[in-house]
Amino acid sequence: MSTTTLDTSAQTIDRFVSAFQVNHGQALNGTNASVAKRREAAIQRFQELGVPTRKQEAWKYTDIASVLDRPYTLPLGPEEADVSAADLDPYLIDDLDAHVLVLVNGRPDLSLSQLDAMPEDVTVGSLKDAGDHPAFEAHYGEYADAEDEVLTALNTAFVQDGAFIHVPEDVELEQPILLLHVNAAQDDLLMQPRHLFVVEADAKARVIGRQLSLTGARTFTNTVTEMFVGERGYLDHYVIQEEDDNASQVLSRFGYHEGDSVLSTDTFTFSGEVVRNNMTLTPDGPNCETNLYGLVIGHGSMHVDNNTLVDHVHADCVSNELYKHVLNDQSTAVFNGKVFVHRDSQRIDAYQSNDSLVLNNDAQIYTKPELEIYADDVKCSHGTTTGQLDEEAVYAMRTRGIDEATARALLTLAFAGEVLEQVTLDAISERVELAVAGKLPERFNLTGLVETASALNA
Amino acid sequence: MALLEVENLHVSVEDEDIEILKGVDLTINEGEVHAIMGPNGSGKSTLAAVLAGREEYVVTEGSIRYKGEDLLELEVEERAEEGVFLAFQYPVELPGVSMTNFLREAVNSVREARGEEELGAADFLKLVRERAKLVDLDPDLVKRSVNQGFSGGEKKRNEIFQLAMLEPTLAVLDETDSGLDIDALRTVSDGVNKLRSDERAFLLITHYQRLLDYIEPDYVHVMVNGRIAESGDKDLAIRLEEEGYERFQREPAAA
Amino acid sequence: MSTSETEYLENVANQEYEHGWRTDIESETLPEGLDENIVRYISERKDEPEWLLEWRLKAFRYFERQVEEGNYPDWAHLDYERPDFQDMRYFSAPKEKASYDSLDEVPDEILETFERLGIPLEEQKALTGVAVDAVMDSVSVATTFKKKLKEKGVIFMSFGEAAREHPEIVKKYLGRVVPYTDNLFAALNSAVFSDGSFVYVPEGVTCPMELSTYFRINDQNTGQFERTLIIAEPDSYVSYLEGCTAPMNQKHQLHAAVVELIAHEDAEIKYSTIQNWYPGTKDGEGGVYNLVTKRGICEGDRSKISWTQLETGSAVTQKYPSVILKGDESVGEFYSVAFTKGHQQADTGTKMHHIGKNTKSTIISKGISAGVSNNSYRGLVKVGKNAENARNFSQCDSLLLGDQCGAHTFPYIEIGNPSAKVEHEATTSKVGEDQMFYCHQRGLGEEEALKLIVNGFCQEILAELPMEFAVEAKELLAIELEGSVG
Repeated sequence: MSTTTLDTSAQTIDRFVSAFQVNHGQALNGTNASVAKRREAAIQRFQELGVPTRKQEAWKYTDIASVLDRPYTLPLGPEEADVSAADLDPYLIDDLDAHVLVLVNGRPDLSLSQLDAMPEDVTVGSLKDAGDHPAFEAHYGEYADAEDEVLTALNTAFVQDGAFIHVPEDVELEQPILLLHVNAAQDDLLMQPRHLFVVEADAKARVIGRQLSLTGARTFTNTVTEMFVGERGYLDHYVIQEEDDNASQVLSRFGYHEGDSVLSTDTFTFSGEVVRNNMTLTPDGPNCETNLYGLVIGHGSMHVDNNTLVDHVHADCVSNELYKHVLNDQSTAVFNGKVFVHRDSQRIDAYQSNDSLVLNNDAQIYTKPELEIYADDVKCSHGTTTGQLDEEAVYAMRTRGIDEATARALLTLAFAGEVLEQVTLDAISERVELAVAGKLPERFNLTGLVETASALNA
Repeated sequence: MALLEVENLHVSVEDEDIEILKGVDLTINEGEVHAIMGPNGSGKSTLAAVLAGREEYVVTEGSIRYKGEDLLELEVEERAEEGVFLAFQYPVELPGVSMTNFLREAVNSVREARGEEELGAADFLKLVRERAKLVDLDPDLVKRSVNQGFSGGEKKRNEIFQLAMLEPTLAVLDETDSGLDIDALRTVSDGVNKLRSDERAFLLITHYQRLLDYIEPDYVHVMVNGRIAESGDKDLAIRLEEEGYERFQREPAAA
Repeated sequence: MSTSETEYLENVANQEYEHGWRTDIESETLPEGLDENIVRYISERKDEPEWLLEWRLKAFRYFERQVEEGNYPDWAHLDYERPDFQDMRYFSAPKEKASYDSLDEVPDEILETFERLGIPLEEQKALTGVAVDAVMDSVSVATTFKKKLKEKGVIFMSFGEAAREHPEIVKKYLGRVVPYTDNLFAALNSAVFSDGSFVYVPEGVTCPMELSTYFRINDQNTGQFERTLIIAEPDSYVSYLEGCTAPMNQKHQLHAAVVELIAHEDAEIKYSTIQNWYPGTKDGEGGVYNLVTKRGICEGDRSKISWTQLETGSAVTQKYPSVILKGDESVGEFYSVAFTKGHQQADTGTKMHHIGKNTKSTIISKGISAGVSNNSYRGLVKVGKNAENARNFSQCDSLLLGDQCGAHTFPYIEIGNPSAKVEHEATTSKVGEDQMFYCHQRGLGEEEALKLIVNGFCQEILAELPMEFAVEAKELLAIELEGSVG
């Protein structure tokens, strides 16, 4: 396996810059001039922007510098990861009849994938192999902001591989696509997958990304995902974050969609060390519907930061945003949601909501729902609540013979339920609900439910 | 001279090529009570909105003369000052705006237009109490914000109360009976009956005949598909109740 | 939107300032520029004790360091040229005397100025039960009702007097809530403040009348740096109101005030502001930079601090009247109406820092934007680790009048204790067309209807103002909204 180990004696920035020089020849489409140009520009911007500090508004509550400042190993080529189909079996979602693309340490592994049933004109595979695809030419790097987002610049500079999905015009993909991301790494591996999903006009797709760790190694994944949805198209993107407790990641998603299309994202965070999700969605045409749903179940010392922007650059659109936190132990949740309505983007209906349920003394919440509005004929609102379970409801359930622990558990599930209701795939919502139940404190006495869960999963 | 003369009125929705009223003729004299009945979507409420001057409707043909003048030339508030009152089907809430302030502004602007003096605080309050009683409205509601937190029945009664306060010449009641239970309907109707006079005309817009059990109209018109399909006296309403609107919808309406 | 409404909104947006005249009085003014000598001069001129001069100098050195290190608080949603601290004057006082012992000594021109502003300093204010202090260009010119207040033991005087007459109290509390290290402008104020108001309410006393200070910038190119300190001893109550105006000046003027409130056990301070500094021309020239630091501490259990503000003036406003809820069961409130039009920019809100147990805060903010203005709410609700059972409710509503302005909401919520219940709601909308139509149908014209609806939008806040000022506030809002026809 060829790797570059970062020289920790140097400043963080310099380490990456010298690794960039070494990495040069291994990059994605090394011969493609436009990709190479983006890479050069990106490393330049990375140097100029520097590592974000907590003095920067966008990183006020998440110390990413200390995550970046580790002696990472940068893989230069695909590693010989020892992963077999049997290893993955437990993680395929039962009752989910899906096309499966397996990514090991950020790179597609077609031998482990199940893509036989894929309609011929749909492409699901490796970004590395997509260089000549017209959709790659048209969309790669067009939405990801490598100019102002330092982690996106870093990813763009080191881009090697990731998932590429292309659904042509008028094709409605019946089965969802499951991207199974598994970490099978040694300690301190830094992965920078780059994904591109293109759903053309009048096409429809549902993509589920599930992130797991097989080895329990300490890793850092810096992912960039670009999404494009053409006119009247539909893309529903789920991400289920279940990496190990010492895996950190920054997941930056940039979605751009045209008139009369629907772009929905659902982000479920159940584990991880430091998890930062950046999301920028841009509905650029009339009658777009943009949805952002998220659920964080915090436990241990997890730190989860969801940073979202809905950029209303076009009039006559609707956006809905709902993020919920359930926090236990010493976990921390950050929510920074921004709705931006540009001048002349009239008749926008934008709703944003963030609710937190705090179960433990040491858990912390930082929430900052923002509205920045320059058009007058709009209906925008946001709301945020932080609190505990409704004692009246606990009492009412007890009077019906439900013990207190179960009452609390059920109410907690109900709190999360509002997000789960938005999930259109039953197999996913069941899976997620059980994951929620499994992550709740033991005192909640959900063993029955969790046992059912493992029985179902077996 | 008739109070209101609607002639060959054609109305479309702004921005859309849909014609809602397709040649309405209607004459109302002072002191008369007219009822317009019709199925949903026939254009009844559009007629009410056009009389009040709602902007999203465009008159493409025909005319409306009120007291001999061209009503369409007047702004919304000028029509109100001239004595046109619309009781809304869905009264609007004005958060934080107290009924008292709202009514004082409204009453005084209408009075000023009529060449009357502004009402002083004491006289105003006296009038409020007197007229609130007329529609059995809890005078305490007057201390609240306009329509905010009012029940459906309270909102409708509040409309009739404002009618009583503003003393219009032509009162248009747009489905005032919808959503009212039988007691509330009776209260509202009693209020309207008390306000009937030789100088004041009413145009009742309703889907159901039951309102007309309480407010007896002089004339009943059936509106179907943007036209008045038939006119008659109150017996027409009873016949409609028995036969439904289907007969009119099947036959092409007389031009 | 109908044409008439558009026209009306344009008129609203272009409405001229009506307090723009200047009084011709002789004043003693320092030249432009700032150095240690200026600080010393101000202190000497005010006959200050040595410790206060030392404090000023420390603040000045801290300020210099902040300027050198470039620690300018530029994180707000505001776009303006930073003031040149060497290109303004730091002291200007009506020439004859730095302070007056009775009204008889106050020159007629000054009295007329305040008369014209609708602030009669005469005893006729007795009828409304308001004691008034007036500060023109940094110097307190008159304080009424001293005697009556003295009977109750209430001290209400200019800051300068207080530093001389009650040094022990001033020394104890000065900088306690807003230390000079708080931010660059707090440091600047601490170095060069020239006057302001001082209020001390002894234990168990309910201040018998509203206290009011009227601030007026008169001189050109003079910064105004007043300092207000209010101390409410246990079980006392005081309601205080400040109002401000300034003449039209081509250049921007800086107003960097500091207000500190201390409420002891069971005490309550109600602080209201009607801010109407000169906002600049309709093209955005001139106008006051209103960059102030206001903070109160609920020191004792069951104490309460309530801020109410009506912000209509200034070219740029950056202020966050805040409450530190240290005492158990203490209560903090913030009620605000911010109206911006023309080229005005406001970034205002509050901080509620919950430290004690069972503390409660309420934030109601109403922003109205017209013209090409930008109006932002920025607020922080922070619940400390040991702040059991903290409660907060926040509501921020924005109203946009016209399609060239902006309305923004930046709430920060930081929760470190799970027993906290925090709710935040915000909406942004324009005046509903159905609302306008409803009003028109009842005979109201554009202007009347809009006034009524905007007033309704602000009603919750205006209701918080002391009655005498609620009327004034409503009139001010009405004037702000008035078109050229009015």
